[in-house]
Amino acid sequence: MSVEDDMTATDAAAAAADTRGAARIGSEPITIAVIFGITVLLILSSRFISPAFGGWSQTETILFLSSFLVFCSFGQGLVILVRGLDLSIASMITLGGVLTTTWLAGSNDGIWYVIPAILAVSAAIGSISGIGVTVLRIPPFIMTLAMGIIVYSLCLGYTQGTPRGYPAPALADLMRAHVLGVPAPVLLLAVFVAIAVVLQSWTTFGRRLYAVGNNPVAAHVSGLSTRRLTIGAYAISAMCAGFTGIALAAYANGATLRMGDDYLLPSIAAVVVGGSSILGGKGNFLGTVGGAILLTTLGTILAALGIEQGWKTIIEGAVILVALIILRESVYEAIRVWMGRTSAG
Amino acid sequence: MGRDQLLSVTGLAKRYGATVALQSLSMEVAPREVHAILGENGAGKSTLVKILSGVVRPNGGTMRLGGSDYTPHSIVEARRAGVSTAFQELSLLPNLTVAENLLLPNVSGGPLRPSSRGDAIAAARDIFAEFDIDDIDPRWRVEDLSLAEKQRLEITRAFSHKPRLLILDEPTAALPDTTWLFDQIRRLTGDGVAILYISHRLAEVRELCQRATVLRNGVSIGTVDLAGINDDEIFKMMVGRAPEARFPGRAPAAGDRPVVLEGRNLSSGRMRDVSFELRQGEILGVAALEGQGQLELFRALAGLAPATGGDIQVDGSPAALASPHQAMAAGIAYVPEERKVEGVFGGLTAAANVSLPKIGAISRSGILTHAQDAKAIAGPARAVELADRYFGFRMNDLSGGNQQKAVLARALMSGARCLVMFDPTRGVDVGTKQAIYAMMRDFADKGGAILVYSSELPELVNLCDACLVIYGGRVAAEVPRGELSEQYLLTAAHGHVGDEPMKAAS
Amino acid sequence: MSAVDATSATEAGHAAPKRRLRQGIASQGAVLIGVIYVILWVVYAAEQPSALSAYSIESLLNNSLPLMLAAAGQTFVVLQGGFDLSVAGIISLSNVLVAVYPVEGPFGALVNLAMVVGVGLAVGATNGILVAYMRIQSIAATLATMIVCQGIALLILKAPGGYVSEFIAYELTGSLFGTVPVAAVIAVAVACIWLAFRRTNTGIALYAVGRDATAAELSGIDVRRTRFAAFCWAGVLYGCAGFMLSAQTSTGNPTAGEPFLLLCFAAVALGGTSFSGGSGGVIGSLIGAATLMLMQKVLFSTGVSSFYTGVFQGVVMIVAVLFAAFVQYMSRSRGNG
Repeated sequence: MSVEDDMTATDAAAAAADTRGAARIGSEPITIAVIFGITVLLILSSRFISPAFGGWSQTETILFLSSFLVFCSFGQGLVILVRGLDLSIASMITLGGVLTTTWLAGSNDGIWYVIPAILAVSAAIGSISGIGVTVLRIPPFIMTLAMGIIVYSLCLGYTQGTPRGYPAPALADLMRAHVLGVPAPVLLLAVFVAIAVVLQSWTTFGRRLYAVGNNPVAAHVSGLSTRRLTIGAYAISAMCAGFTGIALAAYANGATLRMGDDYLLPSIAAVVVGGSSILGGKGNFLGTVGGAILLTTLGTILAALGIEQGWKTIIEGAVILVALIILRESVYEAIRVWMGRTSAG
Repeated sequence: MGRDQLLSVTGLAKRYGATVALQSLSMEVAPREVHAILGENGAGKSTLVKILSGVVRPNGGTMRLGGSDYTPHSIVEARRAGVSTAFQELSLLPNLTVAENLLLPNVSGGPLRPSSRGDAIAAARDIFAEFDIDDIDPRWRVEDLSLAEKQRLEITRAFSHKPRLLILDEPTAALPDTTWLFDQIRRLTGDGVAILYISHRLAEVRELCQRATVLRNGVSIGTVDLAGINDDEIFKMMVGRAPEARFPGRAPAAGDRPVVLEGRNLSSGRMRDVSFELRQGEILGVAALEGQGQLELFRALAGLAPATGGDIQVDGSPAALASPHQAMAAGIAYVPEERKVEGVFGGLTAAANVSLPKIGAISRSGILTHAQDAKAIAGPARAVELADRYFGFRMNDLSGGNQQKAVLARALMSGARCLVMFDPTRGVDVGTKQAIYAMMRDFADKGGAILVYSSELPELVNLCDACLVIYGGRVAAEVPRGELSEQYLLTAAHGHVGDEPMKAAS
Repeated sequence: MSAVDATSATEAGHAAPKRRLRQGIASQGAVLIGVIYVILWVVYAAEQPSALSAYSIESLLNNSLPLMLAAAGQTFVVLQGGFDLSVAGIISLSNVLVAVYPVEGPFGALVNLAMVVGVGLAVGATNGILVAYMRIQSIAATLATMIVCQGIALLILKAPGGYVSEFIAYELTGSLFGTVPVAAVIAVAVACIWLAFRRTNTGIALYAVGRDATAAELSGIDVRRTRFAAFCWAGVLYGCAGFMLSAQTSTGNPTAGEPFLLLCFAAVALGGTSFSGGSGGVIGSLIGAATLMLMQKVLFSTGVSSFYTGVFQGVVMIVAVLFAAFVQYMSRSRGNG
């Protein structure tokens, strides 16, 4: 972030006659449109790789696969929104998976209280992280990293190194079911996204989280209980990760100790590629959803390319990089100025 | 264009995107001159400072310094050309020592050479000796300095670059005593240095400067000889019309109305034993010099830093104000001192900023829409004259005046019966000031009560029903409406009432 | 929240401006973590007397050095106010390079070292351009470069294998004249270079930029160049970390760097460097990294079921940070009288 730009912004604001026609065009809709646009282009162009690609069934698969990343990225996004970072996500996913298989032990009995119990345990652990960050003022990075190590170690001890058991058959069936021709997991994703968007953008809780992330001091002065809100964000994040673990265990019909590892960095990447600021206070969950689907699409297509793993990885990194360069704030500024000029002229 | 001028600027312009900060600025500064820049907030003063110091580049116009083209691309280039600046916002690094700050960016004398602490301190001592500073130790860290010491350090750093043109941007904002600064300025001009002096304190400007250039809306209105013009004429040039102190009329005395907010023997930090009574329908002013304990009083009432001694009564019963939340529940809304830090959510829309305290009540079972926002804030927004076309703007895209209106609207929004306002008109334009005065009067007329601190005495004199003067942490005087005058408040604020140091009254 | 308290703390400081000549910016955190490190050593030695043998010390230092170097590099980036995830990628890449293209002999070691330093510098410079000049959030930009580096490492070496030149594997993990571990010499050298660096203009600028980039710019500091330099230094040190990791494992692994990612942030935090930038230092990070590695040994020696060592590791991390904050709080409130 450059000083000159900071000052440009302040100056512009100070001197502004508040008549800039383009000022209302936020960067968020542009980001979301660009991300979904890139994703659709990727899916369509994958037809060139294989005729089986680029159709609805591949889209369904991609949506299904990306749902896990979407679930945990929502929590990550909320924590980032309040100027934190959740590094315990990988372990919390593992915890969710391990508890699902061991507590259910391959039976449908008890599914009605085991799943709420897993979510409650997750939320409780998240609250502890939140308390550490707010009350004890431990840097989020350290608090959640330490919590992740602790939770992983507890999973390790609880399973004696090898997770046993299976999720309830009903859960596994659900992952394969179709409702009105649409796979149930895709519907689950849609419902989750709808609830999450409402929670983040259309509720008082979400609004207060934005306020805390935007300016914690002003939020405190305005009478918000910043601690409780922040703890809430961490609790939701842990709960989302636990939920991801349940879903993954149901999908894979079992749990492993490293099942969460592939989701920690991608969850941060999805949030950032989706246009949220890693510094908090800014972002939109639809952008994150787009980021998660984009990353998953990319992974799926690269996997189908049949090229070396090294090249796949390089391309993945390069695409993230290109997305970041395209989505830079200065590019929006240029667009705004350009639109301001055309509308003025 | 005189050939003997040190600096001559013609048609300088600067745009930020679609916003015009400077439209056309022309001026000349002669060697040995102390030249003032006058103008309202937003007239383009700070943009001019930034261009001359090399921080931003202009879009148009020419600058010549000592007869050659002057186009600095960085602070360092400007310094090399002989222009150095003491910035209003103080460009010091709190985590470095005084000596390091003084010598930045070249502390060690070479890019790869490690600096020796001794050398840096010796160099800093030399600089301090040259500019008569003997009470700041170069080894101290800047975060341990008082604001006044930081300001002197900032100024000394600008001196130390041996400029031909020195820019001082509001150099006395935090200086309780200007003697040192004025002595140095006279000595430097004696040595041939020209000084661009930016200050809103006209008395200082008249004492130091020979000529002044007046800016309005990014245009230089003209350069005047200060000896031949009176204050009213200058103001007229600044605002483009004759200045009128348009304060709203006042309600009858509130003497017999119930007390809404009362402080008894409050102490905390610098505040000692402060008592006051605020009645329904009353605007009670607080006058004080910088840092006399008034901030502690206001923060205690806001629930931000509870008083360590004494008690606070709301409607005649004791109230514990341990957090801003509790203060709001007690019906007290705080308008904070530092708008940017404590008041504004820059990334949120103006509507979201205003509705924040009441979103729980506005929402339908927790669900909140922008339409509900806009509807709910209409009343408070009208009261502060915040136009509804700004509702959807992000606060960062609004001017300081509109930001302050939104902060005030938020205070009204909370449904408070008592406003506690700390310098609510700081750094806002005349129009916003008028709106704020009207809002305050209206609030009081409808039965609310206001406690207001202001750094501008005319506001207190013309707006308040009575005024407390705080000096050295104590109430030095309680001035009823009939005796309010700037002269009297100023004297009392310096700790003199009737030529003798006062203790708390009543 | 904390910022509110910070404001009132400053005000209190002004009310009673009793100043102390404070220690340098870096030293406080370093001293604290040093104390914790010594305490851990005492516990370790009490549990396991053989811990103090020359061999045991040497092997512990050899184990710790790669993380110490990585944490030292990370400190540069954290000080200027950012995160560098590319550490994992650069270490993997360096490790693979040294294991796939071994050059024998002392001169060969220099060639290998030049290779990894060059790679580290190149990636660091890329990060620097992306963050300082193109203004991409550091955590996002370095995530991308990390992934690219991992991909290149996989291209060079598909699966764990290869071998590291004998000179590197043996001489660099041994002891000078049979007494002083080479690892200790390297760690001390890095500390000395840091001590000199932080008194250079760039070193001072690093603290200035991390604390307040606007004020730094107005003070004449080239903010972008300073940020760029921080990423370059970091890249070089990660390269060295990969080099020393290769010496220790004497084989190549395209994912060798991954464990370093989170651990090196933990080490930086333990060493007292603030993630908001502008305070802390490399020496604290070096000791912080050594402490993390020692902690694993201690937990192992105390016979905690290896499944649960993570619980203790996590708790100790939290307690260490709390302890450091507590001591800082105490010294501050005394300082402000």
